[in-house]
Amino acid sequence: MTLDQVIGAGVLAATLRLATPILLAALGGVVSERSGVVNIALEGCMLVGAFFGVVAADRTHSVVLALAVAMGAGGILAAIHAVAAIHLRSDQIVSGMALNILALGLTSYLDYQFYGNTGTPADLAGVPDVSLGPIAAIPFVGDVIGNQNAIVWVALALVVVIQAFLFRTVPGLRLRAVGEHPRAADTVGIAVRPTRYWAVLASGLLAALGGAYLSLSVAHSFTDGMTGGRGFIGLAAMIFGRWTPAGALVASLLFGYGTALSFSLQGASIGSVQVPVQLLSTLPYVLTILAVAGFVGRSRPPAADGLPYETEGHA
Amino acid sequence: MKRVLAYLVLAAIVAAACGGGGTGGTAGTSPSPGKAIKVGLVTDVGGLNDKSFNQAANTGRLQAEKDLGLQTQVIESKKQEDYVPNLTTFAQQNYDLVIAVGFLMQNAAWKVATQFPNVKFAIIDGAPANDKGDTANLPNVANLFFKEQEAGYLVGVIAATMAKNKVGKATHNTLCSMGGIPIPPVDHYIAGYQDAIKTIDPSATIINGYSNDFVDQQKGKEVGLNHISKNCDILFQVAGGSGLGYIAAAKEKGVYAIGVDVDQIDVAPGTVITSAIKRVDKAVYDTSKSVKDNSFKAGDNFFSATNDGVGYGKLDSVVPADAKAAADKALADIKSGAIKPKTDLTVK
Repeated sequence: MTLDQVIGAGVLAATLRLATPILLAALGGVVSERSGVVNIALEGCMLVGAFFGVVAADRTHSVVLALAVAMGAGGILAAIHAVAAIHLRSDQIVSGMALNILALGLTSYLDYQFYGNTGTPADLAGVPDVSLGPIAAIPFVGDVIGNQNAIVWVALALVVVIQAFLFRTVPGLRLRAVGEHPRAADTVGIAVRPTRYWAVLASGLLAALGGAYLSLSVAHSFTDGMTGGRGFIGLAAMIFGRWTPAGALVASLLFGYGTALSFSLQGASIGSVQVPVQLLSTLPYVLTILAVAGFVGRSRPPAADGLPYETEGHA
Repeated sequence: MKRVLAYLVLAAIVAAACGGGGTGGTAGTSPSPGKAIKVGLVTDVGGLNDKSFNQAANTGRLQAEKDLGLQTQVIESKKQEDYVPNLTTFAQQNYDLVIAVGFLMQNAAWKVATQFPNVKFAIIDGAPANDKGDTANLPNVANLFFKEQEAGYLVGVIAATMAKNKVGKATHNTLCSMGGIPIPPVDHYIAGYQDAIKTIDPSATIINGYSNDFVDQQKGKEVGLNHISKNCDILFQVAGGSGLGYIAAAKEKGVYAIGVDVDQIDVAPGTVITSAIKRVDKAVYDTSKSVKDNSFKAGDNFFSATNDGVGYGKLDSVVPADAKAAADKALADIKSGAIKPKTDLTVK
C-alpha cells in the first residue's frame, strides 16, 4: 500500500467524479425535505433523467437540449409525486417507491423498444470536460481538478447557491418554515402547498441532472438500472449532512472517496497479505458508519417532514 | 374520498410499472394450444440489451421462436430477489423449458426446480445449488457450462502479440482485465487471458481488477481509468453492463479494449479490437431444440471451442495479420487438445 494509492491525485479526482451524482441527489433531497415532503423517488428521477437525456442526445445531437429533456423528465416524475404527496395527501414513502418501480420498468421497456437488442448508439453527444488551462498544468492540483466534467462544477456551484438560498434569503426561510411548522407558516400568509410543489419539482430536476451526469458525462450510453441506488445513497448523504447542502457535500465526498479507495487499493497488500476485493467494496459503507457514529451526532429532520398539510375544515 | 383517489392513482402507477417489466413476447405467433413447446427465459439484472449475456440469451430465444416454431416469453429480473418469483411464474404456467440466465441464479433454480419436478430447467453458467451453496445435478435441470478460459485465451493471444510487437497505441506491454465479481464464469475468462499472455511474453505486465458490479457503468469506468493510469494498453472487460464503463474509459483515454460474451466491436469502433465470445445464444437455442426433439440432457452440458460454443469476435483493422494467425493456431491447438488454457488466475 502506498501513499499514492490512498491520497494520490488519481484517487481524489475519482472521488469528485463518484461524488457528483450522489451530491446532486442529496441536494434534491435537502430541498424537498426542508419543505416537508419526503422524496424517495429521487432514484427514479435520476433514472428517467439518465434515459431521456440519452434519447434526446441521440435524436437532437445537442447536449443542451439533452440536459433540458433529462431534467424535464425528472421534473415530471417529481410532479406526480408532488400531486400524490401534497394534493392527495397519500403516504409519501409508498408514492415514492411506486414511482421508483415505474421509472425502472418504464426506462427498461422504452430502452428495449427504442434501441432493441443492440443498445444505445456509440456516438452520442456528451457533456464536455472543462479544461482549466494554466491550472491544469499545476502538478497534483491540476491532476485533481484540471479536467473535470462541466456537471461536476455545476454540482459544486449548486451547493453554494442552495446553501445561500435556504439560509440567507426570504424565500428560503419561508421554505424552511413550511417544513418545520406549516400551520404557523400558513397563518402568516405563506402559501404552504405551492411552496412544497416548487420544492419537490426542484428536487426532481436536481436528481435528474445527476442521472444525466451518469449517462451523458460518464458512460455515454444508457443501460438498465444504471443509477445503481445512487438516489438512495443521496438520501443517506442528506441525513448524514443534517439536511444542509454543505453537509451533503461532505457526505457525498466521503462516499465517493470510499468507492475510489476501494478501486485504487485493489491488488495492494498489507505486509504479504493481499486485501480481498470483497472487503474493499465495503469501504464506502464502513467509512459512513464510522463517520455517523463518531462525528455527526444527532441528526434532526425538519419537524413536519413527511407530514401532509391539511388546512382546517378541509379534511 | 381523496384518500381513495390517492390509492387509485398509486395502484395505476404500480400496475403500469409491472407491465413495463415483461418485454418482448409472443405477439404475432399463434401456436395451436397444447401443441407448441413453450420456452420461458428469465434474465439476470442488467436487462435485455446489456450488450452481453442477457442479450445473447434473448437472441437465442428469438432464433428458436423463429426457426423451431416455439412459443417463447422473457421476463427481466430487476433485482436478485426477483429470480425465484420469475422462474416460478413460468413453471406454474406449465412451460416445457425454463431457462435461468446466469450463475447467480443457481440457488433460485434449485428451489424452483425441486418444487416443479415435471418442468425442465436450464441454467446458463451454473448448476442447481442448495441453500448451503452445494451444487447437485437434478433430473430435470440441464447445467449449461462454457469453457470461457478458451475464449479468454484466444483474445489473450491477440492482445499479447500486439503488445509484444508494440502495435499502434499498445506501447507499454501492459495488459489489464476487469471482472464484475470474482465468480467462476468470470475468472475463467481472465485466467485464460492471463495464461495466453504469460505463454507469449512472460515479461508482459498483467493487472486485474473488479468493479464489484455487473450493472454500474461508473464503477467500471473508474477501474478502467485507474488501470490506464498504470500504463495499461489493452483492457479486457468481463463485467456485463459495468464493463461498458471499462470500455468507455479506454475510448476516452485512447487505448484498446476487448469485449466479452457477444461481439462488442460496435460498442466503440476503433477502441474495441475484438471480443471473447461465448455463444449463450447457441446454448439457449440448442437446449430449446433438445426439448422439442426429446433429446434434453439433464446434468452438465459443455460448450467449448470444439463445438463452436466459444471463440473470438470480429477484429478491428489495427489487429495485424500475425496476431490473427496466432489466434487461429491457438484455436486449432485448443480443439486438438494440444493447449489446455488454465482456469486459475495467474495474477489476482
